[in-house]
Amino acid sequence: MDEENIKILTKDNKIITLRELFDGKQKTHALQASLTFEEKIKILVELQKIAYSWGNKKNVIVWKL
Amino acid sequence: MRDTLRIINELKEKGLIKDYAIGGAIAALRWVEPFFTRDLDIFIIPEKEVGEEELLLLSPIYEYLKNKGYNQWVGQWLIIEGVPVEFIPAEGLAKEALENAIEIEFDGVPTKIITPEYLIALFLKASRQKDKIKIQMLLEQAKIDMGKLEEILDRYNLSERFKIL
Repeated sequence: MDEENIKILTKDNKIITLRELFDGKQKTHALQASLTFEEKIKILVELQKIAYSWGNKKNVIVWKL
Repeated sequence: MRDTLRIINELKEKGLIKDYAIGGAIAALRWVEPFFTRDLDIFIIPEKEVGEEELLLLSPIYEYLKNKGYNQWVGQWLIIEGVPVEFIPAEGLAKEALENAIEIEFDGVPTKIITPEYLIALFLKASRQKDKIKIQMLLEQAKIDMGKLEEILDRYNLSERFKIL
């Protein structure tokens, strides 16, 4: 069986193929890339907070917006 | 970040630097999806480019910032308004990248940012694993003028490195 046609049961009992899952990821990447610079910096600060707390990287400086 | 850029703009207004542009990961982030990074790389052309002993003089910049109260260093980063900043004197490819940087605004504060074609060339020159990842992201997600990129890579002898990427 073609790996890309493997079916996955996802949220709301929707069935999609592995290919569709990857296509969806690509669309999300493209959507995120089209955010404004300000929005991206806000997300970066959230990532820094996660690295600091969850990742236990206490040397990460969480930026002031 | 807004206030950080405002302070960096002051360096230009006060004649301490000729020009500057955001480079490195934050410049890449302008063109691709958000990703984790730690610092803000600022490429600069110092006002006094070279001292008597062929030294690039960054001390007037740090002295000015120190007098404004920015004297907290974490490794190579100077903390300006809560953001770790590294000033990098721009020479060669980086200088050309800075001269061709585009003007943008961040929260109403004017600034300049290096374009994707020059970022790819600069990341290619560094060629660490994390640089290669950023090149891949730029190629996939940013609008790249391939003709312009090839021309830059050719002039800086980076074409072969790009091919085997």
